[in-house]
Amino acid sequence: MSGRWVRWILRMAPRSFKERYGDELRATYEARAESAARRNQAWAFGLRETLGAAWLVGWLWLGADRPKGHGVGAGEARVLAATAQDARYAMRALRRNPGFALAAICVLALGIAATSAIFSVVNAYFLRPLPFAEPERLVTVVETNPEFGWVDETAAPANLLDWRDQVGAFADVSGYTEFTDEVTAFQDGEPFIVTGTEVLGNFFSALGVPAALGRTFRMEETWLGQDDVVVLGHDLWVSHFGADPEIVGRTIEFANHSPEIVGVMPPGFSFPDGDVQLWYPIGFDPEDVVEPSFRRAHYVRAFARLASGVTHAEADAQLQVVARRLQEQYPATNAVMGAGIIPMRDFLTRDVRSPLGILLGAVMFLLMLACTNVVNLMLVRAGERTREVTLRRVLGASRPRIVRQMLMESAVLAIGGGALGLGLGWVAVRALALSTPLGIDGATSLALDWRVLLVTFAAAGLCGLVFGAAPALQVGVEGPDRPLSDGARSTGGRVGLRTAGALVSVQVALALLLVVGAGLMIRTFLLLGQVDPGFRTDGVLAVQFAVQAPRYATRDDVLGFYDRFAEALEARPRIERVGTVGRLPLDGPSWSSQFKADEWPPDRVGVEILHRRADRGYFEALEIPLLAGRMFEPGDRLGPQPLSSPPSRAVVLVNETFAREYFSGEDPVGKRIAYDAEPGPRSIWYEIVGIVGDQRQESLAMPARPEVFENRDQDWGRNNWVVVRGEGRAGDLAGAVRGVLAEMDPMIPIARIRPLDTVRTESMGGEQFVLALLGAFGLVALVLAAVGIYGVTSRAARRRTREIGIRMALGARGRDVVRMMLLRGLAVVGLGLAVGVVAALFATRALASLLYGVEPTDPVTLVSVVALLGGVAIAACYIPARRATAVDPLTSLRSE
Amino acid sequence: MNAITPLTYAILLALADAPRHGYGIIKELESRAGIGSAPSTGALYLALQRMEADGLIAESNERPESDDRRRRYWAMTPAGREVAEAESHRLAALVATAREKDLLAGGSA
Repeated sequence: MSGRWVRWILRMAPRSFKERYGDELRATYEARAESAARRNQAWAFGLRETLGAAWLVGWLWLGADRPKGHGVGAGEARVLAATAQDARYAMRALRRNPGFALAAICVLALGIAATSAIFSVVNAYFLRPLPFAEPERLVTVVETNPEFGWVDETAAPANLLDWRDQVGAFADVSGYTEFTDEVTAFQDGEPFIVTGTEVLGNFFSALGVPAALGRTFRMEETWLGQDDVVVLGHDLWVSHFGADPEIVGRTIEFANHSPEIVGVMPPGFSFPDGDVQLWYPIGFDPEDVVEPSFRRAHYVRAFARLASGVTHAEADAQLQVVARRLQEQYPATNAVMGAGIIPMRDFLTRDVRSPLGILLGAVMFLLMLACTNVVNLMLVRAGERTREVTLRRVLGASRPRIVRQMLMESAVLAIGGGALGLGLGWVAVRALALSTPLGIDGATSLALDWRVLLVTFAAAGLCGLVFGAAPALQVGVEGPDRPLSDGARSTGGRVGLRTAGALVSVQVALALLLVVGAGLMIRTFLLLGQVDPGFRTDGVLAVQFAVQAPRYATRDDVLGFYDRFAEALEARPRIERVGTVGRLPLDGPSWSSQFKADEWPPDRVGVEILHRRADRGYFEALEIPLLAGRMFEPGDRLGPQPLSSPPSRAVVLVNETFAREYFSGEDPVGKRIAYDAEPGPRSIWYEIVGIVGDQRQESLAMPARPEVFENRDQDWGRNNWVVVRGEGRAGDLAGAVRGVLAEMDPMIPIARIRPLDTVRTESMGGEQFVLALLGAFGLVALVLAAVGIYGVTSRAARRRTREIGIRMALGARGRDVVRMMLLRGLAVVGLGLAVGVVAALFATRALASLLYGVEPTDPVTLVSVVALLGGVAIAACYIPARRATAVDPLTSLRSE
Repeated sequence: MNAITPLTYAILLALADAPRHGYGIIKELESRAGIGSAPSTGALYLALQRMEADGLIAESNERPESDDRRRRYWAMTPAGREVAEAESHRLAALVATAREKDLLAGGSA
């Protein structure tokens, strides 16, 4: 083991040393290693030898500079000494001009920091292997259905189990539910909330992640009756169980049962969601297996581990065969149900691919912009140093030596910029990790690892090469015969100016691209902010809690609790209305179903309608209008009944879109619907009693989908959101809500409590994230472009100080001179703007999927950005031009 | 002449009676001062390289018939012997002083 390191280090020793001593050194090393191994000291020996080898190599190289310098080849010593001298000279030169060095390093650091931050996100999602065993063998198995528009749907349990039995290419198939639960558990009588998720018994073994303590689930524990077990996450184990090493075999206390803790997962494992800390079996009922619902309800996110050596294509082919067989076997549920596989990583990252691609592209533009900026700075500097270079050449320095030295200066700048950029990038990554709403899904986490470091340094190195080479090659093109007294050269040649002008055009074009991107996102954000979601968000607080058995055994116990809670709150001052709802709008995925209306022809069926349970208070608190029919009424509630048994006269409200799409031209009120494609004698028929206003469910950008509201008195549940509307800010209501709940039952913990305004804002999280980053890039781009324009104009102005002086002396007015200078500067800027606009027309198409209400080629945005950049450019040109004319003509004439 | 380092002196001592290869030097050092007392291989060859450059040691042509062909045998040069003798005298003088001052009386070294 250590031998490899020692050999590797020794390879870096000077050649002359290796030739003379290498073989013997190895022989000695091997003999000693053998003897150390015999004494069982291989480890200590290896460590010491590795350090020793490093020490040797270090000394051999460093010793080269010493006057005695034995052993190292004379040629190597010379190169080393010259390099060291170059480095020292570069440092000295940069220190003489700290403003320049600082500017270059900062510009570079900005570009590099942005690159490394964005790349660290890309790395987390797309490059680092998933933290599972042989992750390349894991695939997500999706159900597809052209009739429902499903492309990557969750699986029905029966289908999943059939795949597991029948697809030989799958070593195992497992699954989990994507809806995580806020579970109430008790520790010493104190309730606490933990995020948990339901999994199949083979979930952990299929992922290939063993427990750190105890065991994970067994397949048979998937089934009801054997499912009274849980696995703890490491963080939960530490926070609530004191990291007790004897925890396995003990129980965790829930409201109505106390399952056995069979294992604890290793630190960092939290899948399928970043905050899951508790896993429990999904508890399929063996009696359900023959029920159609076991094949109709799609709610298990299935994944498979491919058998060793099986390709994706082979697995997919086998899966297709099984899917077709199931279609024939179960036409009622599977007639058009297909299946497919997606590599697990691709599936988990499907939502972030597009925004990250955009950000990666943007950050590349920014890096290019930073590079061109530094090239320009270097050119300016090279121009200023023509005199120095000429002097050195006259004194005998060779051109390669001078070029090498220029490159060394770039290298120093690149290293400085890279180091600072890495530091800034680290800060940025921290900030991103805190704020990223891109759905870090437990399988990924942000970190600066070796890949990020590699890319950062590659970026820095590339920058160094690019901006180092250009001025270096320009240097000394002229021979040493150039007169030292040629003052015009002291501000750079005409060629240099032209190059600089072209670079400014490039900068302006790049900046325009970035600012247009930011502008489009800003418009999207503003437009989304103006969208009316169909319900009131300000002044409304939402609180989620569960009312558990056994203390609340019956439906009436549960509903009674929510009713008394609402009454108690409404009795408080400044609270206007309180209601309950199963899920909040704009807060993640919802359940959807197919349905059929009474009297519809056999082939007609409604698909993918959303549904939620709610009470009258929900609509009134959120000011959702009743458009036709009636609201839920107290009379709708029936006598006590067990959970999930059908009420005798079930009523629902539908939204406007539902009424329009399925009952256009007729009155839906009074019609009956059932959530079955082919209703049978056991189907529940719901009567539509009213139509309510649309609410946007999935995102502000998407119009409302058809939705049905069940009466929470009839289709009741233990876990609900209570919405509270009051005067003033929603956050101020939290105290009252907490107080009333604690008063009524201190054993019920609040799972989540959020103002609806926050829910609304968070639903724009993805757009906000991209906007914030593009906005920051755009701002930096604007500054960089302004600096670039300013730099070139002031150079041109200085170069022409003499000319300006003569013109002024001959009677030209300052205004004319300024105009002349401005026109020249703006020609360059105009070219950049033109190129940028054309590029933007193409590049912004990539943004299309993130935009709302604006076209990627939105003329308003384009014109405003051109005006903004133009304004900045004029200012950046004007200041140096103005300064040039302010100089006394005599001074400017003497400036040569 | 500058004072030589302890490692240089130790190597010269190891080579005083016979030419040795690198591992031979290590074994000789360990046989006198104990296992683990020898320097790392890297440090040894850094010292050997300096000593050869300074002319204290030279490669020896004498080697056993059946030896590993990679091995080099190092022998003390006359200059090396001179240095070793000078250092030994210097140390002996120091030891004599130590004895005079009663620093070696109850020692267990």
